[in-house]
Amino acid sequence: MNAVKKFPEALLCTAPQNSRLCEALQKLQQNARAQLDTLALPTRKNEDWRYSAAALSHLDTLSNNSTGQGAAEAASDGVSGYRLVLRNGLWQKDAGELPENHLVEVISFEQLNESDAALVSQSTLYQRSDLPFAQLNTAHFSEGLFIRIKKNQRLDQPLVIQYDSEDQGASYPKLFVLAESGAQATLIEEFTGASGETPACTVLTNSVTELRLQPQSQLTLIRLDLAGESVAHTGLTLAQLQRDSRLETHCAGFGGKLRRHDLKVALAEPGAECKLNGVCVTLGQQHYDNHTEIEHIASHCNSEENYRCIAADSSRIVFNGRIHIHRDAQKSNGAMNNRNLLLSNDAEIDTKPELEIYADDVKCAHGTTIGQLNEEELFYLLTRGIPKDQAATMLTLGFVVELVYQIPDENVRTLVEQKLEAFIHAAHV
Amino acid sequence: MSNSGNSVNELIKREYEHGFVTDIESDTFEPGLNEDVIRRLSAKKNEPEWMLEWRLKAYRLWLEMDEPEWAHLHYPKIDYNSISYFSAPKSNADAPKSLDEVDPELLRTYEKLGIPLHERARLAGVAVDAVFDSVSVTTTFKEQLAEAGVIFCPLSEAVHKHPELVKKYLGTVVPQRDNFFAAMNSAVFSEGSFVYIPEGVRCPLELSTYFRINAANTGQFERTLIIADKGSHVSYLEGCTAPMRDENQLHAAVVELVALDDAQIKYSTVQNWYPGDENGVGGIYNFVTKRGACIGRNSKISWTQVETGSAITWKYPSCVLRGENSVGEFYSVALTNNYQQADTGTKMVHLGKNTRSTIISKGISAGKSNNAYRGLVRFGPGAHNARNYTQCDSLLIGSECGAHTFPYIESKNNSAIVEHEATTSKVSDEQLFLCQQRGIDTERAVSMIVNGFCKEVFKELPMEFAVEATKLLEVSLEGSVG
Repeated sequence: MNAVKKFPEALLCTAPQNSRLCEALQKLQQNARAQLDTLALPTRKNEDWRYSAAALSHLDTLSNNSTGQGAAEAASDGVSGYRLVLRNGLWQKDAGELPENHLVEVISFEQLNESDAALVSQSTLYQRSDLPFAQLNTAHFSEGLFIRIKKNQRLDQPLVIQYDSEDQGASYPKLFVLAESGAQATLIEEFTGASGETPACTVLTNSVTELRLQPQSQLTLIRLDLAGESVAHTGLTLAQLQRDSRLETHCAGFGGKLRRHDLKVALAEPGAECKLNGVCVTLGQQHYDNHTEIEHIASHCNSEENYRCIAADSSRIVFNGRIHIHRDAQKSNGAMNNRNLLLSNDAEIDTKPELEIYADDVKCAHGTTIGQLNEEELFYLLTRGIPKDQAATMLTLGFVVELVYQIPDENVRTLVEQKLEAFIHAAHV
Repeated sequence: MSNSGNSVNELIKREYEHGFVTDIESDTFEPGLNEDVIRRLSAKKNEPEWMLEWRLKAYRLWLEMDEPEWAHLHYPKIDYNSISYFSAPKSNADAPKSLDEVDPELLRTYEKLGIPLHERARLAGVAVDAVFDSVSVTTTFKEQLAEAGVIFCPLSEAVHKHPELVKKYLGTVVPQRDNFFAAMNSAVFSEGSFVYIPEGVRCPLELSTYFRINAANTGQFERTLIIADKGSHVSYLEGCTAPMRDENQLHAAVVELVALDDAQIKYSTVQNWYPGDENGVGGIYNFVTKRGACIGRNSKISWTQVETGSAITWKYPSCVLRGENSVGEFYSVALTNNYQQADTGTKMVHLGKNTRSTIISKGISAGKSNNAYRGLVRFGPGAHNARNYTQCDSLLIGSECGAHTFPYIESKNNSAIVEHEATTSKVSDEQLFLCQQRGIDTERAVSMIVNGFCKEVFKELPMEFAVEATKLLEVSLEGSVG
């Protein structure tokens, strides 16, 4: 047996615990810290990290210089709405703008009341041992934010949560979003940070976002991974959907050296529905890993998933989608679609669409393709006098834009489209 | 559907048709695996020194390996030292020269199994290299095959008669260190078939082997090696039945196929081993490594399998497409009932230019069984213009079974194209209702629907196998509706 490989030292040494956290949370954190010694760095042999374990070597260049508070003003990127800024995992109360109409409550974990604290600390997250990075987050987070969208309220503008990572070291933002019964809201998670030219990864944003959708609530989550090359990112989004609630996610990933997003959705009560969309582009030596899991726990739930990935140069994209239909989840519908475009002979795409089904009265399907641009389509555009790189960009953009158009917020839509175009154009020049 | 409950219960109790134990005195090693056992095994077979060394090397590699745990299977840990690694019918010690000399008890066994041996073999036009437990009993049609220059004999015989071929190809497709079970097989394989089709020859007969596990507590570790030289063609059939037994029996086989330039190999399997009773007691543990290498240009390897038996199936017939324009195919029907578990699929590894592969997999789960498709499609950097099409469909019958799909798709070539589709559904009430309206009872209707579901695969089977397969599905499925 090989010796267990440990996480780099920079990710293991912990700062003193925040004594203002409630008891239950402190206890959870202590447990997580106690397990740090035995926490193994995932290797190729871990099924979940089969294709991404090699990219974890980028964590070695992290220093454990706990970051100071970056001074840079949060760039707004043209995404408008209410804004919440977390710099290096810490809430910047004076930056950003929160709604004053009491539709939304943002509470630091330090000020949680008893029932909310129970909600947070009883999450299934803490029973899972298959999420090493989430365990790291639990061991390290210093504050954490609780966002409540109030009962039967509809948020008039999207709530932007900006995660800005600067300087050096790792940050551990933690978020718990509660959409109360009948609430409706759009959340935009925006990951930004050091777009410097440093060749090595100096920053890691290791985030955990939990979404709890109470009956009949509707939540749209837009996740924009826009940080610079030197920012490594491992993120977990864990959603639990109650009766007749609906979750829609739109993830746009622009690769860095090490990017990983785990999206886990549990359809826990009948009538829940989720739709997961994602686009992902990588250039150069980038690495992007999308892991999604949809658990149909209750009957009469629907899920739909659409991911499009484009890998250029010598980059690598991983997609692992899983639909798990439990024994009692009869009358479930699940559809997963994953299409990939390989633009270069040095790039690699690894995809694994899984179905695990224990109920018989279900309809479940998945489809996957990996391919290249259609030569005839390209030729058609060339004959119309369009230069090759432009024609290729048009076609590649056409491949993903269908999903971009489904993003409900116009500003975000424009931003993603521009960003995609820039990336794709760079890939074709 | 509920009104068929009674008949269902009756049918569920239906016993395994091929479950009987032939009462022949066996020459069996005491349980346990060590170098000494391997030496004795090798000595018993009069093997040359190089063969023994090869086995010992495999054994030493095996000692350092861990049993794989990634499959979607649950079974109690196997104690490899409680298994006997060699068993030969004693009456075979002085090798019968013709069928008349064969133990009549044995012949009756074959007859019960319906093997087309003896005269039936002639009528059916099949040459059978029947393996009874671990020693080849008799081989028919040898002369006809020899005329064509085809070598078809037990592997132990090939080691003596054609050492140069065995040495050249054995372990080239599935090396000793390949995996835990392949390493074990390499160390203790006792019997198997060897086929060599010379250049430009189209094998005049469909070659066939029947494996049967007989004596209690003996695992059967056969090893098959098929080499199709340039421009040759062969179709090989493998079928399995085993008698009823209470203790789980281990079976770890290796099949290696080698196709040179323009050669074609078609390998068909109907596997109907004892699946255990309705409570999941007993049944065969089947851990098989099957792999074909398309070494030459324009070569083709085609796997067709119908899997209905075994308590546990761990089997991934694969193709390594090295030669330019080579083709790999995999057609599979896997049916599980009661407490059976299957984790089966294929690997298509595209290395050469213009290589193509097709995967059609149909999984049917009934009772409390679990049926998983696990497949890999990999395009290497040199696999320009390679193409893969995969379709895996699952059918669920009953609310307590599971159907799973774990496809791995890895592409390192931007001119390669892969398409993968999977669906899961159940036998729909509408379909059943339509049949019942027309006076077809539920059992028969389900059987018709399932056979329709598997049609794409059955049409790839040789004729006589297709008939057997259709029947097999009916028998295996009986009692699963309700």
